[in-house]
Amino acid sequence: MNDVRTVDVSGLPPYDISHQSPLWWGQLMLAFIEGTMFFILIAAYFYTRLRMDVWPPPGDQFPHLLLPSLALVLLILSCAGSYWASEAAKKNSRPGMIGGLLLNLLLAGAVLVMRIIEWHSLNFNWKTDIQGSYVWAFIGLHTFDYIAEMVFTAVLLVIVLVGRNGPKQRMGVHVDSIVWYFIVLIWIPIYVTIYWAPFFAEAQQ
Amino acid sequence: MIATQDLAPQIPNQAEEIEQLQRSWRHPRGVLGWLSYTTHQAIGMRYIVTAFIMLLAGGIEALLMRTQLARPDNNFLSPDKYNQIFTTHGTTMMFLFAVPMMEGMAVYLIPLMCGTRNVAFPRLNAFGYWMFLFGVLFLYWGVFTNAAPDMGWFAYPPLSGPQYTPGKRTDYWAQMITFTEVSALCVATEIIATIFKMRAPGMSLNRMPLYVWSMLIQSFMVIFAMPAVVVASSYLLSDRTIATHFVNPAEGGDPILYQHVFWFFGHPEVYIIFLPALGFVSAIVVAHSRREIFGYTAMVLAQVANGFIAFGLWVHHMFATGLPQIGEAYFTASSMMIAITSGVQIFCWLATLWAGKPRLTAALHFVYGFVAIFVLGGLTGVVLASVPLDWQVHDTYFVVAHFHYVLIGGALFPLFGAFYHWFPKMTGRLMNEKLGKLNFWVLFIGFNLTFFPMHILGLKGMPRRVYTYPTEMGWEQSSFIATVGAYVIALGGILFIANVLSSRRFGAMAGNNPWSADSLEWATASPPKSYNFEYLPMVTSRYPLWVQRSERAFVTGLRSDRREALVTTLMDAEPHHRYVLPTSSIWPFITAVAVSIGFAGSIFNPWYLTWGSVLSGLALIGWFWPRRPVELES
Repeated sequence: MNDVRTVDVSGLPPYDISHQSPLWWGQLMLAFIEGTMFFILIAAYFYTRLRMDVWPPPGDQFPHLLLPSLALVLLILSCAGSYWASEAAKKNSRPGMIGGLLLNLLLAGAVLVMRIIEWHSLNFNWKTDIQGSYVWAFIGLHTFDYIAEMVFTAVLLVIVLVGRNGPKQRMGVHVDSIVWYFIVLIWIPIYVTIYWAPFFAEAQQ
Repeated sequence: MIATQDLAPQIPNQAEEIEQLQRSWRHPRGVLGWLSYTTHQAIGMRYIVTAFIMLLAGGIEALLMRTQLARPDNNFLSPDKYNQIFTTHGTTMMFLFAVPMMEGMAVYLIPLMCGTRNVAFPRLNAFGYWMFLFGVLFLYWGVFTNAAPDMGWFAYPPLSGPQYTPGKRTDYWAQMITFTEVSALCVATEIIATIFKMRAPGMSLNRMPLYVWSMLIQSFMVIFAMPAVVVASSYLLSDRTIATHFVNPAEGGDPILYQHVFWFFGHPEVYIIFLPALGFVSAIVVAHSRREIFGYTAMVLAQVANGFIAFGLWVHHMFATGLPQIGEAYFTASSMMIAITSGVQIFCWLATLWAGKPRLTAALHFVYGFVAIFVLGGLTGVVLASVPLDWQVHDTYFVVAHFHYVLIGGALFPLFGAFYHWFPKMTGRLMNEKLGKLNFWVLFIGFNLTFFPMHILGLKGMPRRVYTYPTEMGWEQSSFIATVGAYVIALGGILFIANVLSSRRFGAMAGNNPWSADSLEWATASPPKSYNFEYLPMVTSRYPLWVQRSERAFVTGLRSDRREALVTTLMDAEPHHRYVLPTSSIWPFITAVAVSIGFAGSIFNPWYLTWGSVLSGLALIGWFWPRRPVELES
């Protein structure tokens, strides 16, 4: 029996903060799931528009472009915080993680405020008409993800601040950045759909 | 304590190490402990048992319907009860039996077949099971309070909309979908991560067993298909509860859009159920014909193609909605195309059986039954793919016959084969073969008695979902035969349960590998220990247990004082790093309760979603809060 071949893996590291980790793949799948959901909604938005004579439906304001576009720029910038935190997590640098997470939270918070202001300025809601239903669904679902992710970034920040940043928590900081990139990336087609599509779709009349 | 594997390396302090391994992987005691299990064998078994109970529930509903239809002008069931029962039957079989059963089998088998200790995310796995269970309880709460859904299992608006189905019946249905989708998505995610990153060293992608391939493809299909049904059921629910306009024609919404989104999920759903069954068939055919699979590459490619084409078929459920002809022609072509990839697999199995030395076990009987029934169902599928024929038989019993041939033939027969094949692994005892073969013949005859006459009923014009019919239609005889057949199927089910119960107690001891099968799950004890393998196996061939003993190899050096597994690279499965798996935890259960409060309450008051989100957020923080401040760096 002693001649059975063996491979000793005790020398391998007990964790790896990169795309080699199963958790990274789990987060990627989560992004696929949510991304698919949003793309189906975007497809359904245009499908619905094709079946209507006038778009946006009479009475709905055309979207404001300035505030959402500024917010988009800030949102993309907020990825820098996530990237900083995630690289710091790989190197186990506590100040880097704290700085990155804080920067991310600050920018994300500013964008959230801008979004709430913009949201309040809409002259229709989900009950008004079909465009209202879609716009509110897009903003509502995305903001739900957005706030949930901010809460978890804040929790990670607390964990790092109290010094409990073990390998698993640092892995958490890393995948947190991936979730954030997803939330930012998926916002781009949604932004184009809800803020620009009414102009293009209208122009075809 | 010595290793339970058929072959294991001898190393110093072995007994001590294995005892430590057992301590690390021990289940917690007590009720709270039971709610905290995170091992894949326990969770997989819970899925299987719960889904089997749902099969029985769906079966009883089917018997009630067949009893009502046994003779014309029958008044055994009222029209309203009949509507509730056929809807609950379809819903139960699709969402609460078929998908969770396939997921449960995968949760049990995939880590064993991949040669690792647990799924990649054990707590997510537990959470998924609780969500499924709460979804079951939620729907059946409705059933027992006279609020079972009654608008058909695909809930088309406007019938399912607020104007035509007031009350809570449709809401129960739509929210039950959310529960089961969360569960299926949890399993799909962890199965993909497990297969990609936790395969035994040496198990490169081209050495993966075909069942593992089928689950990988199925999991990707779940990931891209299930979001569609989440959208569809959310459309319905929000139109009903907060007056959005998505699919409600009374408010300017488009009911055809609902059908598109629903079937963009609904057609892949059929393959989500069917692909794991193909994996079962491959595993059974290889093990019981004692031969390597014929055309491994062709099989894998055919399954991948199945996965893709399945997303391009959905409109063939909507031929009668008046879509443009060019679209219909495209979907006819793609619907016929899937017969090619399915055909390739059938021929590969036949070739394997032909060239092998098949043992006519009960499991193989079910495979033969599968081939016969599924080919028939596939042929009627080709009929239905043709638009003029589809118009003729749309919404008749011909369609009912077709999808029962493909679903029972394509999924249930392989599943029973899989039960006979893996029962010894799961319980340590063999099932009774004689009773198994009898079980097969009773089911096979009962099945054909029930569903073959439905083809004729459909061609004669009997619409589906009618609660009764007048004598002069001439549907009496075939309907009566179908009812007799349904009771024969029930007898087959009873035989199966009897076989399970008696074999659990009195069956012959199975040993590690009663079938001399090829894949890794047979290398370890039956039933497996909660850590599966004392020493993770290495793989040097597509059929790891069929190589010379001297060619087999094992992994040493994983720590036994905590739950450790090995992460390997995606393509070639080379060892990359060690991975500390989480232990038992009550948090998945608590989180599932919090999420369920939000889901269940929201059909009565939308604010529950807010409270549910807050509760779930708190539960998730508890879940992720680091208990041991800093884990060891070694």
